[in-house]
Amino acid sequence: MRTTLDDKRSVGAAKRSWRMLPRGRQWREHILVLACQIGVLMIFLGLWEWATAQDRQTAFLFGSPSAIAGFLVQMWQDGSLLRDSWITGLETALGFVLGNVIGTILGLSLWYSRFVSRVVQPFIVALGSIPIIALAPIMIIWFGTGLASKVAMSTLSVVVVALLTSYKGAMSVDPDQINLMRTLGAKKSQIFRKLVVPASLTDIFAGLKLTVGFALIGAIIGEFMSSSEGLGHAIFKAGSLYIIPKVFAALVATIALALILAFLVGKLEQYLTPWREEV
Amino acid sequence: MIAGENNGGGMPVPPLPEPPLVAEKLAKTYGDGEALIPVIADLSLTLEAGRIVSIVGPSGCGKTTLLNVLCGLLAPSGGEVRWYGRPLTSMPDGVGYMLQKDLLFPWRTAIANVMLGLEVKGMPTSEARERAHVLLDQLGLHGFETHYPSTLSGGMRQRVALARTLVNEPEVLLLDEPFASLDFQTKLVIEGDTARLVRNQHRSVLLITHDIEEAVSLSDRVVVLSHRPTRIRSSYDIELDGDRADMMAARESPNFSQYVRSIWADLDVGTA
Repeated sequence: MRTTLDDKRSVGAAKRSWRMLPRGRQWREHILVLACQIGVLMIFLGLWEWATAQDRQTAFLFGSPSAIAGFLVQMWQDGSLLRDSWITGLETALGFVLGNVIGTILGLSLWYSRFVSRVVQPFIVALGSIPIIALAPIMIIWFGTGLASKVAMSTLSVVVVALLTSYKGAMSVDPDQINLMRTLGAKKSQIFRKLVVPASLTDIFAGLKLTVGFALIGAIIGEFMSSSEGLGHAIFKAGSLYIIPKVFAALVATIALALILAFLVGKLEQYLTPWREEV
Repeated sequence: MIAGENNGGGMPVPPLPEPPLVAEKLAKTYGDGEALIPVIADLSLTLEAGRIVSIVGPSGCGKTTLLNVLCGLLAPSGGEVRWYGRPLTSMPDGVGYMLQKDLLFPWRTAIANVMLGLEVKGMPTSEARERAHVLLDQLGLHGFETHYPSTLSGGMRQRVALARTLVNEPEVLLLDEPFASLDFQTKLVIEGDTARLVRNQHRSVLLITHDIEEAVSLSDRVVVLSHRPTRIRSSYDIELDGDRADMMAARESPNFSQYVRSIWADLDVGTA
């Protein structure tokens, strides 16, 4: 059969436009962006260091990059940096997975019944509007001061968002595609598995990226309330003792943790939705 | 001829098979109570086995509503739809459905999209893959089996959608402006492919279109619809010379422009 010339040309045109740039120019732009980012960071840290070097009071109130680095080295050497990061990371990861699994299963299954979804809608909105921090004392009472209460806090901050994003994904499936499945003789369960679930992946992953931060916030709030280890604990303790640079040092570790988790979610997305990275 | 009729007491003639699709005095009204909008009014239509029938009508005349009623996605307000003589109760078997939107699933490769219907029916994967493969080859998509739809051109995507429809071996195809978004050359090629595959395999086609030339060049019969509420205004049996799978030859046929002109006049677009 014929494949027209036009077809072959438009295959290339379907690629995203920045990928059409010659390879060299692409690289040069990439490196330039990276250099500017590093430059901005250096200037910011330099000004900070310079300003706090002027007098001891400013240094006490605002810390200084060199002092923060000093605390990071010290926390690394006494092992608390890795231990605290590991604890908080574990709480966050468990809450993230638990909250997203529960929320996504609930959100997608609401697709099955328009009636049930209409019944539960106001309850979901009500649950979503509760400030998570208000639940922390109860979680400590129910689950104790250990890992479980932090995981519960983390799960709670994730679950409603995950539910709403996956429900939105399931409900925004093209009705023509549902009709297509029906004309192919698909049962409702087949429409769910072969169309609704994969079609919702884009929204589910948007939710995952959003909830990485929420899971971390939940875990840290839990640690603020009552804990003996973790980055939230380190921040709270250092803050209580007015050791500002140590607060910042723990904060740096928290940011690093968030970036690592976001990176892992991105990798998972690439792995599970290969059609979006094709070409 | 009436099914089962005897010809003068001799050998009984085998009963004539029921036509694939009959619509009788079909009506469809939208709305409830106060605001009733009649979309289809008293429409009767027969699709005979192995024929290609096109429906053309002014825009907004309820062509897509008609198609949805015919295939059971919408219930008619009056009249009856019969598939092979049986009144339509649910989605009929053996019907392929194709729209202007290709509706390919972006997470499936070309071949996996084609296999969708066979998968739903529970056919073993190896057999489904084999059948999808053959069809994609016939439609000129050899080597593109593992491409995702996002990397295919509009014409190729519509060909994958055609393969997805044909792989289920439907006896009847309902096509709702499937070629409308394609450029002219691509359109002629795919129309030709469709005509060739459909006529070789003796499938029946009901094609809804607003393109008069497409309707005349592809079909055995063209039915012209009126403005809303939709009725049948006229019906033309199309007789053209030459290979009916060659869209260019159809256009060069002496009767072609005559049909197009008559149908254009019937559509009454100028006064709308």
